[in-house]
Amino acid sequence: MTPTSQSTEHIDPNRLSAFIDGELSPMEQQGIEQHLANCHACALRVLSATQLKTATARAGQRFTPPPEALARLTAHLHLEQKKPEQKKMPARIHAMRPLIWTALAAALLFAVSLFGWRQFHPTNALVTELLDQHLATLSTAAVPQVISTDRHTVKPWFQGRLPFSFNLPETAALPPDTTLKGADLAFLNGQPAALLLFSIHKHEVSVFLTQRSTSPSATILKDSRSGFTIHTATTPDLRIIAISDVNPADLDNLLSVLVQAQKTA
Amino acid sequence: MSAIRFTVAMVNTYRLPVYSVSLEPHYIRQPEALRVMSSLVSRSANFEESALPLFASLYNHAFWLTRNQADAEDLVQETFSKALRAFDSFQPGTNFKAWIFRILRNTFLTTRTGIAASRTVFMEDHPETFDSATAGPTPEENLIRLGDENALQAALEQLPSQLREVLLLCDVEELKYKDIASILEVPIGTVMSRISRARRTLRQLLQPQLGESQ
Repeated sequence: MTPTSQSTEHIDPNRLSAFIDGELSPMEQQGIEQHLANCHACALRVLSATQLKTATARAGQRFTPPPEALARLTAHLHLEQKKPEQKKMPARIHAMRPLIWTALAAALLFAVSLFGWRQFHPTNALVTELLDQHLATLSTAAVPQVISTDRHTVKPWFQGRLPFSFNLPETAALPPDTTLKGADLAFLNGQPAALLLFSIHKHEVSVFLTQRSTSPSATILKDSRSGFTIHTATTPDLRIIAISDVNPADLDNLLSVLVQAQKTA
Repeated sequence: MSAIRFTVAMVNTYRLPVYSVSLEPHYIRQPEALRVMSSLVSRSANFEESALPLFASLYNHAFWLTRNQADAEDLVQETFSKALRAFDSFQPGTNFKAWIFRILRNTFLTTRTGIAASRTVFMEDHPETFDSATAGPTPEENLIRLGDENALQAALEQLPSQLREVLLLCDVEELKYKDIASILEVPIGTVMSRISRARRTLRQLLQPQLGESQ
């Protein structure tokens, strides 16, 4: 709207309001002033609006705070100001928070990937189970149910306890410095297993015999973890897994003797 | 001492920044504590210098919003606390009054009364056709007793809250449209039309008073 058109038309309420509030551009302001000089009605409206504005300002300033309110506020503020000193620790934790989240995210990612990896590598879980069970046998508190070096005592003990049978080699057939110490019933990967406890050069050896047909995994375990060696041998019926911290070659010797014993049966 | 620090760094496998591990005696940390304290003190002194003179204005506005003395005082107190905490984010050179009024308003909107008020749908900013015949008061209407403060206060109370709020910010707090726009988070054009509408409505509310008084 140009100043000339403004001077002939009445001022619209919004602009009149903005005019008395001093919110118009100098050019718009000038245009309105020009109009007011010639329009009595608009001049009256401006006067009335200005009076209303002044009266509103007076009436609106109505509530005064109680005298003690300011003191209460300043006391509250000073209390607040002391807080940052005490809040230092939380503030520091705040600073560490992104790191904690990152660590959590990393841990979650690790757990998920480990889970996924385990899904694809079920044998890994089996290795852990073997290791756990072997370590359990090393404890002096773990006394096997059958303590015998005699194969004629050990073998019959398993009858009726296992859904399969196996043969034990003659004592003379065992590799040098290898002794059968006892046996236990174990569960490996949810399957019943015969746990034979040997010692080779004072190293404890756990040998698990499971039914081959029920073994979920046909993979041949050959692993070493935390200084323990795991070797697997199979016969048509059995799966024999040996775990020990003994020399792997000695472990293989024991395994081959055990495999041989099944054949001679 | 350096050996101790070194040990801490050594065991910090995850390379997390060591924020609070300091085995130094207290007297060595004192200067830093004093420096932090003095910066806090000067910061809060600056804040109080800017904010406390606005206490009465904020209280008055808070009362208009909450319509209750206790709530108004609580609202102002919370506003001051929030403003003090956020004072670092205040940009010097910008309008402090507008900044703290905005905090007051936003704080109010989180209260029960504020939530209820914000739910009230306000039909606004319809471009009204300008009719010069009804646009302004007749010379007689100019005689409405603007001096009668009670009548005006009664009219202000009847004004829809959104209109009253904008009018108080403009006429009582004497804030510029752009500052009001930032407080209410609306465009300047909306502020202008809302103020204009508030004044027209106020005038209409004063009309019966005129009739009664004659």
